[in-house]
Amino acid sequence: MDINYIGEHLWAGQLGQISIIIAFVSAFVAAIGYAFASRNDAAFSDWKLLSRSAFSIHILSVFSIIGTLLYMLYNGMFEYHYVWQHSNSEMPMRYIMSSFWEGQEGSFLLWLFWHAVLGAILLKTSKTWEAPVMSVFAMVQMFLVSMVLGINLGDVIRIGSTPFLLLREHPDFMNLPFLQNAAYLDRLDGRGLNPLLQNYWMTIHPPTLFLGFASTLVPFAFAIAGLWKKKYTEWMKPALPWTYFGVMILGTGILMGGAWAYEALSFGGFWAWDPVENSSLVPWITLVGAAHVMVIQKNRGQSLIMTFVLTTVTFILILYSTFLTRSGILGETSVHAFTDLGMSGQLLIYLLSFTFLTIFLLIINWKDIPKSKDEDSLYSREFWMFIGALVLVISSFQIMFTTSIPVWNKLLGTNLAPPLDPIAHFNSFQIPLAIILSLLIAVTQYFKYKKSDPQQITKALTIPFIISLIGTAAIGYAMHYRNVMYLAMLFTTLFLICANAYYWLKMLKGKLKIAGASVAHIGFGMILLGAFLSTSKTQVISMNTSGTDVESLGSKGDFSNRENILMMKGDTLRMADYFVTYAGKKKEGVNVFYQVDYLTKTDNTYNLEFSLYPRVQTNPRMGNIAEPDTKHFLHKDIYSFVTYAEVETEEAKNKPEEYKKTLTESLAKGDTLITSQAFVILTGFNLEVDRAKSQLLEDDIAVELLLTVIDINGKAQNTSTIFVIRGNKSFGIPANLEDLGLRLVVQKIIPEDGKAEISVYEKPDNYREFIVMQAMIFPWINILWAGCLVMIIGTILAMRRRLKTA
Amino acid sequence: MKKTHILAIIVIALAIGAIMTTVSDSSTYSNFKEAIENPGTEYHVVGQLDKESELMYDPEVDANLFAFNMIDNNGDNHRVHFAGSKPQDFERSEQIVLVGKYENDMFQASTILMKCPSKYNEGQEGEMQEFTAKTASF
Repeated sequence: MDINYIGEHLWAGQLGQISIIIAFVSAFVAAIGYAFASRNDAAFSDWKLLSRSAFSIHILSVFSIIGTLLYMLYNGMFEYHYVWQHSNSEMPMRYIMSSFWEGQEGSFLLWLFWHAVLGAILLKTSKTWEAPVMSVFAMVQMFLVSMVLGINLGDVIRIGSTPFLLLREHPDFMNLPFLQNAAYLDRLDGRGLNPLLQNYWMTIHPPTLFLGFASTLVPFAFAIAGLWKKKYTEWMKPALPWTYFGVMILGTGILMGGAWAYEALSFGGFWAWDPVENSSLVPWITLVGAAHVMVIQKNRGQSLIMTFVLTTVTFILILYSTFLTRSGILGETSVHAFTDLGMSGQLLIYLLSFTFLTIFLLIINWKDIPKSKDEDSLYSREFWMFIGALVLVISSFQIMFTTSIPVWNKLLGTNLAPPLDPIAHFNSFQIPLAIILSLLIAVTQYFKYKKSDPQQITKALTIPFIISLIGTAAIGYAMHYRNVMYLAMLFTTLFLICANAYYWLKMLKGKLKIAGASVAHIGFGMILLGAFLSTSKTQVISMNTSGTDVESLGSKGDFSNRENILMMKGDTLRMADYFVTYAGKKKEGVNVFYQVDYLTKTDNTYNLEFSLYPRVQTNPRMGNIAEPDTKHFLHKDIYSFVTYAEVETEEAKNKPEEYKKTLTESLAKGDTLITSQAFVILTGFNLEVDRAKSQLLEDDIAVELLLTVIDINGKAQNTSTIFVIRGNKSFGIPANLEDLGLRLVVQKIIPEDGKAEISVYEKPDNYREFIVMQAMIFPWINILWAGCLVMIIGTILAMRRRLKTA
Repeated sequence: MKKTHILAIIVIALAIGAIMTTVSDSSTYSNFKEAIENPGTEYHVVGQLDKESELMYDPEVDANLFAFNMIDNNGDNHRVHFAGSKPQDFERSEQIVLVGKYENDMFQASTILMKCPSKYNEGQEGEMQEFTAKTASF
């Protein structure tokens, strides 16, 4: 039975799907055409013209796919699964880009977009390299487009997952009853963008990271073209500026991810050695290695094999990390991998195709690739740069080997789990490597290519060496570093910074144009130093002041690390140099903000220094998620988040509270009654009771007891309870004090003593709101962020210089 | 011997070192039985929350002690102590991975990884969340 659905915009999906197919076919044609065009035979220019047109069509159709999906998101076409899944009608339009790339399909499109943009630039600038380079580009694009094709071959094989699938065609929804209603769209709204991702980081981080991924394709394409056309060295000149560009953008993207984690997620830091983080870090490390061996090659014509290996491995590692994060193989080892779309086979084919292509080209060219005969001198720059590149290789190998544990399990049938303490595991290797690397970066610039005079180097390095030694002693003393490894790390990073700064000021006479390498190295040193200082001296300030001893609960285990603290609303606790108060909470949308005031005390008065608002997000997709709030100072950050809190307060408030009688006492005028929450003073009796107001009958006898209630904060309020005799019955009209959870009722009057008997009723656990939180200080973390900026500037300088000489 | 050979040997040695460290630092996915047989050794144990059991978390007494029962994939049910606050929405978890060791007659977890179902019924899996007792540091 066919249903004529009302209100669907089928043309949009068709336009998008046709664009995908054109993009796929045109990439295929361009890949083949350019391959023929690179043969330089008679038909060369015809092939070139054809492939150029094909690639231009490909670029336009990629833009068309993206434009269509954006248009669908903008107009809320929830009949499409992707639009339904990632947006809704309430979502502010500033998040439209975030919802665009929230899903796998959208992020593939983002990647395709950057490849198309870079491809368009290369089409204009690659000149004689156009045919082979663009052939590689088109081939990569063909594979990428196939990820969003969404074509079924038979019942089993599905190629790609398209963002233009209708909700009612999606296997999970197909048979749902509401989709049998022709007018189902009238009542349909999208599921919306995950609230955790509704922030500006989600707008800027993915495009930066994917531009970084995309830019690794350029040196790869040139390297493959170099092998293919047997121009083993010439390809590097045009590839080098792009390599620097990739180092800068990919580095920025990774650090942005770290900054996002630090600002918005509560795992307590900017780097957790999570598989997803690692798999984008490793290609960056190899890309940095590639950039350095290219410079050696350019100046000395050596390490050619290493240049090919590092350049190609970088791109293959990008494919590998795509496989890791999108195939579902990471499973429970990662907190933020994509969910599996059943495309692991396809991703694997993509990865293996380019791996084997590269290996094949390297093997058939192996004999012809020129290798240097003479040994590098120990006193040459190229030797130590090469060693540095090797250190980078070992570092990336170690990170990747551990991150790939789930892959080894699949391949070998083992049942290994990732290290229990991943941070300690990675640091045990990466800190010594960072120490060696820092030393290498510090001294290598002082060497000349080919051969240099060791005495001159020692002389030049004396001043930075002494400065960093003094710096190490001062900082080490001030911040209580005793561990030898930590002192070594402190010294080498300081030495790295000083030596490069000195080189720039003294050797390069402070000229900025040619100082790209020095500036970038200073930035890198600052990143290492900031990361080291802030994480090695993280001070958890929410510990040691709280609670009863766990021993008394009967557990004798290793419960010494108490980093959570309980704070009752209104209580003030000491934390480091502050007195901290939990002031209350406020609900805004899905977020509950907990106001925590940080005070200082001078002469017995508290001064409010600042307030932090860590929040708990009641996330409909992921449950409740704590998001931190951080106070930034120049030399430290105070970072805090709520680890446990009652979120559902409305419910708690609506519960019928039962009052319990706690005591009964006889009071004369002026007497005081002490309850758990307040003092109650009987100030007098009133015999002229307002009968109408208290709804009393004409014949009732009534006495009003005037009471003053003073709470623990010293606030006084007046109230009253009335004793009534009606016929042969008597009763008391209670005084209710809601905010104190208190109810006072007169039971009887004893006229001969001038006394009244008053009962006190209180709410059972006189509910006081509380939160459990963690707070910590990260010292000097700003050095890290400043280092990021310095490194970016240095890389841009280096890139500009290479572009001029290219 | 040429310098390149020395370098090659050093690199290979370090690579082997890296592999060895990974293998020795890594733990294995296991069950309560094995953890009990080897008290003091750390394991990853996969299982589900015993929803019948009492979830004990009283921050007014101790904000750093959370106790519950987990049934591992072999069906063994054991009391677990976690030295941190109760993860948000723990009751809703459908799968738990504990990292910890058996000591003093109970399983002491240092990290809890849990997966909650998505609140939308579309057969989609929820995302993993991680809760650690101790803050990351050098």
